[in-house]
Amino acid sequence: MTPGPDFDELMSDADPAERERLRRVHDMLVVAGPPPELPPQIEAGPTLAMTIGGRGARRHVQRRVALLAAAIVVLLLAFLVGYITGNDNKVAGQVLKLQGTAVAPNAQASLRVEDVDPAGNWPMELAAVGLPKLPPKSYYEVFLVRNGKPWAPCGSFVVKNAKVGVSVRLNAPYRLRPSDSWIVTRRQWGESDAGPVVLRPLT
Amino acid sequence: MELALDTPARLRAVPKTAPSPAPSVDATDADLLVRVAERDRVAFEALYHRYVRSVYGIALRKLRDRQRAEDAVQETFAAVWRSAASYRPERGPAAPWLYAVARNAIVDRLRARSEPPMEAPDLASSEPGPAEHAEASFVAWRVHRALEELPPKEREVVELAYWSGMSQSEVADYLHIPVGTVKTRTRSGLARLSDLLEGELA
Repeated sequence: MTPGPDFDELMSDADPAERERLRRVHDMLVVAGPPPELPPQIEAGPTLAMTIGGRGARRHVQRRVALLAAAIVVLLLAFLVGYITGNDNKVAGQVLKLQGTAVAPNAQASLRVEDVDPAGNWPMELAAVGLPKLPPKSYYEVFLVRNGKPWAPCGSFVVKNAKVGVSVRLNAPYRLRPSDSWIVTRRQWGESDAGPVVLRPLT
Repeated sequence: MELALDTPARLRAVPKTAPSPAPSVDATDADLLVRVAERDRVAFEALYHRYVRSVYGIALRKLRDRQRAEDAVQETFAAVWRSAASYRPERGPAAPWLYAVARNAIVDRLRARSEPPMEAPDLASSEPGPAEHAEASFVAWRVHRALEELPPKEREVVELAYWSGMSQSEVADYLHIPVGTVKTRTRSGLARLSDLLEGELA
């Protein structure tokens, strides 16, 4: 197919000079081909970035956008930290009352969670009475309970005299959640399971 | 500030200075460039609309990639804004100056392309060579720019007659006008294009 209209037919009644003049334009139109369809964002008009210095400015704009994005990230992180810290504060200062199970029916305890230290450790203090003295190679273990299951150990202790009671310093090197709880179990050296629960939270 | 490439801020949305009078439709490209050199955003926008199709057209021809062509348009007009003061009307019309700016922006884009070099063909290609391509690009540049100046009715007929594949009678049917009117408008459009191409755009 020859692009364009039939030039001779189009110019059938034109004088030679006019014919020649328009022939050149006709040929140019054929060579040029159709103009492109513009994407909407190009057709809309020049952008501000074009008038603030071109490529350098574009980089400048990109840098500002990157800074803005970084600021947003920092704000989000701050919010997140605040949220976590807020929840942490719900944990800190918490005193959990524990009562003995059938394994140690006369036992009672309280577990106080202190403020988290800068390294992320949660010091705790457990005060317990009524826990029996255990046979050799046995000990008590404090477990962090998450989602209803013993999740991680927070320290172990032994009891010398059930009547006197015991107060021990423990630590939870974990990020605590408001829903976390604790139990105390009785364990034996060399056993992998948590052992029977001797103290559980007072419901 | 351009926050998103999809929705860049438009000049009209953020006038930094009092708006200058809109350039007359008779203002030449050179007039507009001189005003752009004086940081006239209205003139810049007018110049943009006159040339954006031509710039995008040659960018597409050379780069064969819409996104890169769009980037080249951005770079071209940023360079026009930046360098307008270097244009000297006494040295010649604005169209070739603008073409050179666009070509440089496109060449920059081409250089930035990281494609593996092609192996040399065994036989000489019958495709047009670089010189022919350059010639055709400049012709397209001038023609597409000149088309912007045609009255809409003439432009419509010329575009349909040359690039739609329709015959003159089909164009007439399509536009619901007599075939004689199609011929008249086509010839009138060609004559006006000839004047434009032999005048400032030459």
